[in-house]
Amino acid sequence: MGQKDDIYQNFQLRPMKCELNFLSRSDGSAILSQGETVVTVSVNGPLDIKTTSQSIEKATLEILFSSKGGKPSVADRFKENVIRQTCETAILGCLYPRTGITITIQELEDYGGLLSCAINCACLALLNSGISLHHVVAAVSCIVDETGNIVLEPEYQQVQSAATKLYFVFDSRDKNLVTGFTEGAVGEDMYLEALEKCRAASDLVFNFYRDVVTKYSNVI
Amino acid sequence: MTSNTHTGTTVTIFFEDGRKFNDQRDIKLNVNAIKTADASAVVKCGNTTVVCGIKLELAKPKAEEPDVGFLVTNVELLPLCSSKFRPGPPSDHAQVISNIVSDIVTNSKCINLKDLCIVPDKLSWVLYCDMVCMDYDGSVVDACLITLMSSLKTLLLPSVSFDVETEEIKVDTTIKTPLPVNGLPIATSFAVYQQLSRSVILTDPTAYEEEMCGGLGANLIACWNKGQLCGVFKFGGSNLSTENEKETLALAKQKSKLVEKVINICIENKS
Repeated sequence: MGQKDDIYQNFQLRPMKCELNFLSRSDGSAILSQGETVVTVSVNGPLDIKTTSQSIEKATLEILFSSKGGKPSVADRFKENVIRQTCETAILGCLYPRTGITITIQELEDYGGLLSCAINCACLALLNSGISLHHVVAAVSCIVDETGNIVLEPEYQQVQSAATKLYFVFDSRDKNLVTGFTEGAVGEDMYLEALEKCRAASDLVFNFYRDVVTKYSNVI
Repeated sequence: MTSNTHTGTTVTIFFEDGRKFNDQRDIKLNVNAIKTADASAVVKCGNTTVVCGIKLELAKPKAEEPDVGFLVTNVELLPLCSSKFRPGPPSDHAQVISNIVSDIVTNSKCINLKDLCIVPDKLSWVLYCDMVCMDYDGSVVDACLITLMSSLKTLLLPSVSFDVETEEIKVDTTIKTPLPVNGLPIATSFAVYQQLSRSVILTDPTAYEEEMCGGLGANLIACWNKGQLCGVFKFGGSNLSTENEKETLALAKQKSKLVEKVINICIENKS
């Protein structure tokens, strides 16, 4: 165990700050800052939706990602897809058949790790909305720098200069991989090492969720 | 997964079409299929069919990167290929697939964009790589990359002379040089099927299998290029443990070597 502990020690994520119920008119909302990256998310649902997009098996998930510039792009569709697929595994959609759940994400500041911040914030907003979930999810991003070191939740300058960026999302039950994708080339060993580091670091995110929820629901 | 064969205590389960779980579908590849394009290829992986055509154009490089050319990739999923797609502007799924393919090509650095520059700040090549899906039967990213890479490997660039003073461009189509391609990124798709507490990994899933395993876009895609991973994508679907992840990476590596051979043999036979 000794060696294993060494690998998992000495890592830190950027400071996270969160406020739930940030918006008064949505069913659930959250604002989350990870380092200097800030995102707000509003969740509405279960709602009535068009018959054509209803599914008799599960709730239909609609994700809207608005970037700071406001101009929609192909990259935004990609982000929406990542968030939709991730949230779909987390939400117990079969409890809300023939309805829709809308998640709106607004980027406020992007200083690296925007997507992981957006996923974490969406998860907090879902918790706040009271929609039933299988499990919560935690996103952790990391980079491999020029010297081959893995840096978790890097700072803005490090992200800009990094050749390889990796993003992972884990579930809270078995810490299995829900979503993961890479930018840039990476060796297999490095990839697996980064995966394990991020998996261990996801605990910090789950603990943070617990702290936030305890603060807001003091009855439980 | 319709037939179950019980042999003693072990249970062997096969795909609908009789494959084993880690078998992939047959690949049929034809290069230079479209004569009007500068380079082209058609691939069939099982029923999934993708055509790729490359069109060459000349343009002025961007002012901020004067010695870099352009490689524009685009994937089209027309209503022709599946009932899931409607006519009109590109669907979200098509945009996501397009994004994945272009990400893999950039990440693998298989094309050095500086090779596409003719005269810095004045003239460079633009490679329009259009991939059209004719039949959507799962694992479309794999097929897209196979056609794209075979087309790029067969692409010949005509020689161009540029007069700096008069800015006159002369294209000589009799002298053609091949475009340097560094490595060969090959993607492999997997679907993860949750069977109670255990998950089953299906290699090269068909559209029906994709549907059973979390729907459109829930595949795990692993892409190898020259012994390096140049893209691992997994968006939702069933969750994946570390052992399964290692298994998929190994399978993808094995498949990438095989497909590389297929592409090289096909190109050799054509020329």
